[in-house]
Amino acid sequence: MRANFIFSEVWIGLRRNLTMTIAVIVTVAVGMALLGIGLMINSQVSSMTGYWVDKVELSVFLCKKNDVFPACKDKPPLTDDQKAALKQTIQSMPEVERVDFEDQNQAYENFKAQQGNSLLLSVIQPGDLSESFRVKLKNPDNATAVSESIQGQTGVANIVNQRQILDTYFGFLSKLRNMALGVAILMVFAATLLIGNTVRLSAYNRRRETGIMRLVGASNIYIQLPFVMEGVIAGLIGGVFAAVLLIVTKVLLFEGIQSYMAVPLGWNTVAGVITFTMAVGVVICVLASFITLRRYLRV
Amino acid sequence: MIHFDNVTKVYTNQNRPALDHVSVDVDKGEFVFLVGPSGSGKSTFLRLVLKEERPNSGAIHVAGKELSRLSNFKVPHLRRRIGCVFQDFRLLPNKNVYENVAFALEVIGKPRRFIRKVVPEVIELVGLEGKAHRMPDELSGGEQQRVAMARAFVNRPMILLADEPTGNIDPATSIGIMKVLDRINRTGTTVLMATHDAAIVDSMRKRVVELEDGKIVRDQSRGVYGQAY
Ligand SMILES: Nc1ncnc2c1ncn2[C@@H]1O[C@H](COP(=O)(O)OP(=O)(O)O)[C@@H](O)[C@H]1O
Ligand SMILES: [Mg+2]
Repeated sequence: MRANFIFSEVWIGLRRNLTMTIAVIVTVAVGMALLGIGLMINSQVSSMTGYWVDKVELSVFLCKKNDVFPACKDKPPLTDDQKAALKQTIQSMPEVERVDFEDQNQAYENFKAQQGNSLLLSVIQPGDLSESFRVKLKNPDNATAVSESIQGQTGVANIVNQRQILDTYFGFLSKLRNMALGVAILMVFAATLLIGNTVRLSAYNRRRETGIMRLVGASNIYIQLPFVMEGVIAGLIGGVFAAVLLIVTKVLLFEGIQSYMAVPLGWNTVAGVITFTMAVGVVICVLASFITLRRYLRV
Repeated sequence: MIHFDNVTKVYTNQNRPALDHVSVDVDKGEFVFLVGPSGSGKSTFLRLVLKEERPNSGAIHVAGKELSRLSNFKVPHLRRRIGCVFQDFRLLPNKNVYENVAFALEVIGKPRRFIRKVVPEVIELVGLEGKAHRMPDELSGGEQQRVAMARAFVNRPMILLADEPTGNIDPATSIGIMKVLDRINRTGTTVLMATHDAAIVDSMRKRVVELEDGKIVRDQSRGVYGQAY
C-alpha cells in the first residue's frame, strides 16, 4: 500500500469539496462537544450522588418560643426532658442509625460558615435559629417514611429532607444532560447525512480515477480508502475542535460551579470523555463513508 | 487462454440477448479480431472477459479460471492480468503521460523503484519517447491512444482487450496503433480487438470472429472483414 499516493488523493478530495468538508467538521465538532458535555454532566452527577448519599440527613427542627410553624401554634417549646424523650423515640426507630442534637449556638456557627451574606448575618441572632435533631439514616431511601412518622410528634416544627433538595438539583442536571445528549444525537444524524453527501460528491468527482482503478485491478480497499480517509480526517479535525470546546467548558463552566459541587470534575474524566467522543466521531465518519460508498461506487 | 462455452447474456430490461449461445476458444499468444456491426455484442463479449458483466448461462474461462467461481474479492487480481484499451482513451486529464501510465501501477501497490524502471520502457515501446511530460491535451488522438496502450501493457498482462481502439483515429494514424498492438502481441500477449474497421482487419490477416445479433456467424483464421467466400 502506497501511503503517499492515498494521502495525495485524500488531500485533493478534501480541497475539492472544501465547503462540504467544513460543514462536516463543524457538525462533528458541535455534535461531539455536546455528547462530551452530556457525559461530563453524567459523570459529575454520579460522583456527587456517591458523595452525598451517605451524608444526607433529616433535619428535624424543634419549636422555639413563639414559633410561626403551624405545628408549634400555642405550644411552649419542649423541656430538656421532653427533648431527651423525643431523641430516644427517634433513636429507637429501626431505620435510624444515629441522632445528633444541634443547639442554637451550633446552628448559628454552621449558619455563619455557610453564609457569605453579611447583611443576613448581621440581623440573625442565635436565638432566631431553631434547635434540631440531625437524623442519619441507615438507608437514605427510607427518608420519606421516617420523616412522616417523626412529623406527628409534639414539639417538631418541620422536617427538611436533604435528599429532596439533592433530588431537585440532580433532576435539573439530568435534564441538562438529556438535552445535551438529545441535540448531540441530532448533530450526529446531520453529520451522517453530510458525510454521505460529501462522499457522493467525491465519488462523482473522482469517477474517472476510480473507473481506471477498477479496470487495472486495484483492490477495493485501495479504491475505497481515499474516500473513507476523507471522512476520517474530517471527523478527526471535528474531534479536535470538540476537544477544545470540552476543555473550555470544563474551565469556564465546571470549575466555575465547583464550589457548589463538593466533588470536582477531574481532568482524568475530561481526558476520557475527549478520547471517547473522538472515537465516536471517527467511527461515525467511517461508517457513513462506507455505507455511502456501497451505493455510489461500484466495485 | 479465453474459453467461452455456450455463453448467453441478456441485459436486464432487454428481451433480445446481447450474446446468444456463444462458444469460442482463444489460445495463448493469439491475435483475434472481433468484428460485426454496431450492437452485435462485441463490447459485451469483452466486458464478460473482465467479469464486468455476468453471463445468464454458459461458462467463461479466462487464464484457466472459471469466472463464475471467482469471488468478487479476486476479480481485481484477474484484471491485473488483463490490459484494456478503449475508443475514448480514458486518460486522466490532469496527469501527464508518465503519470497516467504510472497510475496503473501505483494503484495496485507496485514499489516506486519498479515503476520508475518500467514506465519509461513501455513509453518507448509505444513510440512516445520524449513525450513523457506532455499532458493529454497536448497530444494527438493517436498519441493519446498510445498512452492508453502503454498503461494497459505496463503491468505485462497476459491478455490485451481493445474495444474499437482506432474508432476515433484517422486511417493513417491507425496503422501506427496496429503496429503497436502487433508489437505487444509478439511479446506473447494474447490480443482481442473489437472493431468494425474493414481496412485494418483486411491488412492484418489475423483470425476473425464475426458476431451478428449476438451470434457467431464466422470464425476464420487469417481472415478478412467481409465475407471471403
Ligand atoms: N449496459 C447495457 N444495458 C442494456 N443493454 C445493453 C447494455 N450494453 C449493451 N446493451 C445492448 O446489448 C447489445 C450489444 O451491445 P454491445 O455489446 O455494446 O455491442 P457492440 O459493442 O458490438 O456495438 C445491444 O443491443 C445493446 O443495446
Ligand atoms: Mg461496442
